[in-house]
Amino acid sequence: MPEDVLLNVKDIDVFYGTLQILWNVSLEVLTGELVAIAGANGAGKSTLLKTIAGMMHPTTGNIEFLGEDISRKNAYNIVTMGISLVPEGRGLFPEMTVSENLMIGSYNRNARALSKEQLCRVYDLFPILKERKNQMAKTLSGGEQQMLVIGRGLMSNPKLLIIDEMSLGLSPLIVNNLFQVLHEIKEAGVTLLLVEQNVWKTLHEADRAYVIETGRIVMSGDALKLCEEVEIRNAYFGV
Amino acid sequence: MDSLADLATPITMGILYGGLYVVIALGLSLVFGVMKVINVAHGDMVVLGSYIAFVASTSLGIDPILWLVLGIPLFFILGIVIQRFFLYRAFKMSADAALIIAFGLGLIIQNAEQLAWTPLSRSLQTSYSLKSFQIGEVYIPLVYLLDFIAALIIILIIHQFLKRTYLGQAITAASQDRQTAELMGINPARVYQIAFGISMALAAVGGVFLGLTFPFTPTSGVSFLIIAFGVIILGGLGSMTGTFIGGLIFGLSQSLGGTFLGPTGQLLVPFVMVIVILTIRPQGLFGR
Repeated sequence: MPEDVLLNVKDIDVFYGTLQILWNVSLEVLTGELVAIAGANGAGKSTLLKTIAGMMHPTTGNIEFLGEDISRKNAYNIVTMGISLVPEGRGLFPEMTVSENLMIGSYNRNARALSKEQLCRVYDLFPILKERKNQMAKTLSGGEQQMLVIGRGLMSNPKLLIIDEMSLGLSPLIVNNLFQVLHEIKEAGVTLLLVEQNVWKTLHEADRAYVIETGRIVMSGDALKLCEEVEIRNAYFGV
Repeated sequence: MDSLADLATPITMGILYGGLYVVIALGLSLVFGVMKVINVAHGDMVVLGSYIAFVASTSLGIDPILWLVLGIPLFFILGIVIQRFFLYRAFKMSADAALIIAFGLGLIIQNAEQLAWTPLSRSLQTSYSLKSFQIGEVYIPLVYLLDFIAALIIILIIHQFLKRTYLGQAITAASQDRQTAELMGINPARVYQIAFGISMALAAVGGVFLGLTFPFTPTSGVSFLIIAFGVIILGGLGSMTGTFIGGLIFGLSQSLGGTFLGPTGQLLVPFVMVIVILTIRPQGLFGR
């Protein structure tokens, strides 16, 4: 069903200056899926996401979103098309309030008209953000900051929400809560692409997964089946 | 000094004409906030604003303050053009390249002014230039009060713009984290243009009030750049409140320095203050 392919990354090579980070990477995300990209630190996960979001560009290969080639487009145009990247390390605007952080998420022209409804939706998903709406973003706890950046990502009314290292530095309890919210977001019709070092948890939550190792996709398929693959255990758990 | 009451005059005057420094510093700080480039031509752009108002006033008979109705949009557009065709092209290579372009622009403005209006000292003369008003025993020139009112109005407008509009929030966001701002759909080149346009519009306002307050020559820009720089450092980078209070403190210490130490104290005292405050609070009075 090719019409269901939302994001199609085809054979991309990506360089940081002269250093090649990604080699011949291909992946597909279908509408309505929750897809995970798992891999160790330094495997090239963040580079892959930055390339999809338009902050970096592939030297060969291309990236299609809804059938349109986006591999040469700028980050600020790609958001408008419906891809929202929640950056790693909770890149929020520290000296802006919670509600200002959320509202700037709907800056792009396709999201502005819907910003009021979208804001209500985000406050429903994360009630704590409503309580803290007039606080400066930097005063939030780590978990709340992660909620804020996910909420801000939703404010752009995305078709595809990409989240980089959501569970980094958060307690398992908070991570579980966040995954619950992600399922609600998915049910509301947003396709999700997650990148995680926390492989076990991610693979249990995802529909399909890709495993990336030193810049190459080494495994892909049904997430639970991947879980059982011995190689993963060897690679990440040392069993 | 006969009594403490005599100090009321320099204190009031300094605080009031400190408003002029607020307006000039705000334009410099806005561009620095988003681009992290010190626009070393900002002082020269302010003085250009003074000269254009001078022409409007002497040749066309337009009141300098009224002239701003045209001057603000004119300078705003000029700012966008300069940013788009000169600064941004250099900025894409490196911030240093943009700094050098700005330096060159400053020199061009200074020399063009020398050619057009000679190096002689000028000032903006109006019907209210020599008027003063009285509070108790203190007589204050009216133009100083105008400086202060202008600063107040400008600060309020810019604050509301940055807080309440999408464009203003985009400028705020881009000055805190440029890359993340881009992920929000904010085009950095556009933000730089708008910020520079506003900075130039503020230079037009600053130029008019500078011309009403002090005499100016084509080379005056440099000293006002240094003052604006002092004000920003004093108040704390990126803080509107800081720039406002910093400007008033600068005016106040300049005025008191002049009273106690004579003309040499006018710049000595405020910059000693800058050093002292930076020793105690390296991030400035309102910096974070």
